[in-house]
Amino acid sequence: MVIRVENLIKKYDERTALDGLNFTVEDGDIYGFLGPNGAGKTTTIRILTGIIRADSGQVIIEGHDVFREIMEVKRLVNALPESNGYYEWMTAYEYIEFFSNLYEEKKSKQGILKLLDDVGLNGKEGHLIRSFSRGMKQRLGIARALINRPKLLFLDEPTNGLDPKGRRDIHDLLIDLNQKQGTTIFLSTHLLDDVERLCNRIAILNYGKIVRAGDLREMKGKGTIEDIFFLSTKEGAQ
Amino acid sequence: MKKSSLLLSIIFMAIIVNYTPASAASRIAVTINPPSIQANMGDTITYTGTITNSSDVEVSNIIAYISLANITQGKESPMDLEDWSANKAVKIETIPPHGTYEGKWPMRLIDSGSYVAYITVVDKNDNTPVSSMMSRLEIQRILRLNPHNVLPIAIGEPILIGLIFAAIALRRRKGIV
Amino acid sequence: MKTIYIMQKEIRESVLTPKGFLWYILTSIILSVLSYLFLTNSELSLLDQGQMLYMIMNFVTALGILIGLIFGADAFAGEIERGTLESLLLSPVNKTEVAMGKLGAALINWGIIFAISLPYLFVVCKGGQNLLFGIVYLAILGTLLTITFSAFSMGLSARIKSMKNSLIISFFIFLLAGSPIFLSAALRGTWFGRILDLINPFADAINTFDSVVIDNQGFGYQTGRVAIICGYTLLSLWFLKRSVSRLEM
Repeated sequence: MVIRVENLIKKYDERTALDGLNFTVEDGDIYGFLGPNGAGKTTTIRILTGIIRADSGQVIIEGHDVFREIMEVKRLVNALPESNGYYEWMTAYEYIEFFSNLYEEKKSKQGILKLLDDVGLNGKEGHLIRSFSRGMKQRLGIARALINRPKLLFLDEPTNGLDPKGRRDIHDLLIDLNQKQGTTIFLSTHLLDDVERLCNRIAILNYGKIVRAGDLREMKGKGTIEDIFFLSTKEGAQ
Repeated sequence: MKKSSLLLSIIFMAIIVNYTPASAASRIAVTINPPSIQANMGDTITYTGTITNSSDVEVSNIIAYISLANITQGKESPMDLEDWSANKAVKIETIPPHGTYEGKWPMRLIDSGSYVAYITVVDKNDNTPVSSMMSRLEIQRILRLNPHNVLPIAIGEPILIGLIFAAIALRRRKGIV
Repeated sequence: MKTIYIMQKEIRESVLTPKGFLWYILTSIILSVLSYLFLTNSELSLLDQGQMLYMIMNFVTALGILIGLIFGADAFAGEIERGTLESLLLSPVNKTEVAMGKLGAALINWGIIFAISLPYLFVVCKGGQNLLFGIVYLAILGTLLTITFSAFSMGLSARIKSMKNSLIISFFIFLLAGSPIFLSAALRGTWFGRILDLINPFADAINTFDSVVIDNQGFGYQTGRVAIICGYTLLSLWFLKRSVSRLEM
């Protein structure tokens, strides 16, 4: 088990963002974390990656308690946040080099070039990030998230705002990562197409609660993913 | 006619002799030296004022101060000596009968133009202040374009910083594909 | 070590982008104009060199404080608004290391401003009294004030997470710190004015410069004011640490 979340609660003033969340993610999963906007997906990822604190509950990642051993967890996981910003004045190479320096195992020049090559940015290492398209920036963000060869990768809406080709490229990249490098992927999205193409297990989140979770193929036997999603979020609302 | 003229003269003389003037003019005189100065802006000059007590009695607690008036065409005005001189006025304790007091008034020349300087003496026992003759003061403007060799720094440093950043930007642009 | 990399990143950003460059060139141009006026203007040139040194020291210190406040306001709020802070915090660095890296960069920026001002100080005040003492005091008090105001502004930036609001408050603080300039000499001479001067770290610095450069007074006269500035520096660092430890996206 890569992730175990128990009774996770997070409140912003009076609003309950996460209301007793429980789920597990297994090694090698591409775990789809679905939900409408405002369901609590980003909050969950931020808590799981130690960016924000939860009010109560427990999160264990790779055997480490996120609330007590966050530095250990940060060495094992990485993430591409939803609205990931970039130091636009840097080149792609400088960007990866800077983040690589923040880890104990710094990447060599070859290592950085290989990483950029892996995400399809070969030959772009000397380009300023400000000249990149949104798709290229997402690839660079993924490259940054792969610096520490994470066992678990959190991706928050990684295909948002991309054109169909950009989305397909990111899909291929993630499948490749999961299958060839064995990276477990926690994919937060509200795009059902992403889920169908990538995920083996899903959880549907609504109003801070998981309203349905399980194996995607089993669920699909009961209807289309779209039907399941809308039915679940409707039930959750009720 | 002659008689009457003589009589008038005698009366007039009697009046003069009997009149004890309230004015100090009769017993204090003041002179300023030098009578004219030509100097440059920024120079420091010194006026010497000589106050003479020509009477048989001692004068005490008198005040002497220097004044400057701008007489440049179109700029005629009295000057505020705030920036020009730190000691504009002196209080003189006593000047003995037929004695003199010599005071110094150093002055830093702040602005160019034509001026007159004069020293005034005020005795509290008199009604009329006594002033010296006016000393003419001509101050030349001097144009100093590079004092302290400031220009190489004032022009050079911003250019140098600009060049350094231009070089960094150029080097970076060359390095970037 | 991670602090050093973050500091390097910040300095590179200052040097490679107009953000820092504009400040450096602006400092240099203003000092050029000021120096030239001091030496050639009919009235200013008659100031004695100690007075000129004192005025340039005040200006450089004020500039150091202003730049510290602006860079500080950008430190966390700017990164949050540009969406870059989350990536940084996903790396195995703690928030204090990030803050220290940014504070280090603010100090390097102050160092650059100080270095830019040195040739002007030497040219304008060549042969003047207490030039070297003045420079030493400027370096020490300028550094302490840069830490004080940058750390305060960074702490504020981490708390309110809005670049615009952080900047507005920082400018207000800057005006407040510079307020002794607007007070009349008579008001500054009263007990109320003296207390205001004493509790204002910027006023403490300029009064120390005045005492050292113009009045030729030794360190013994400065200890009280320097101690107050040191106190503010420690207080600001504590505020920064506390604000950053509470920082959430």
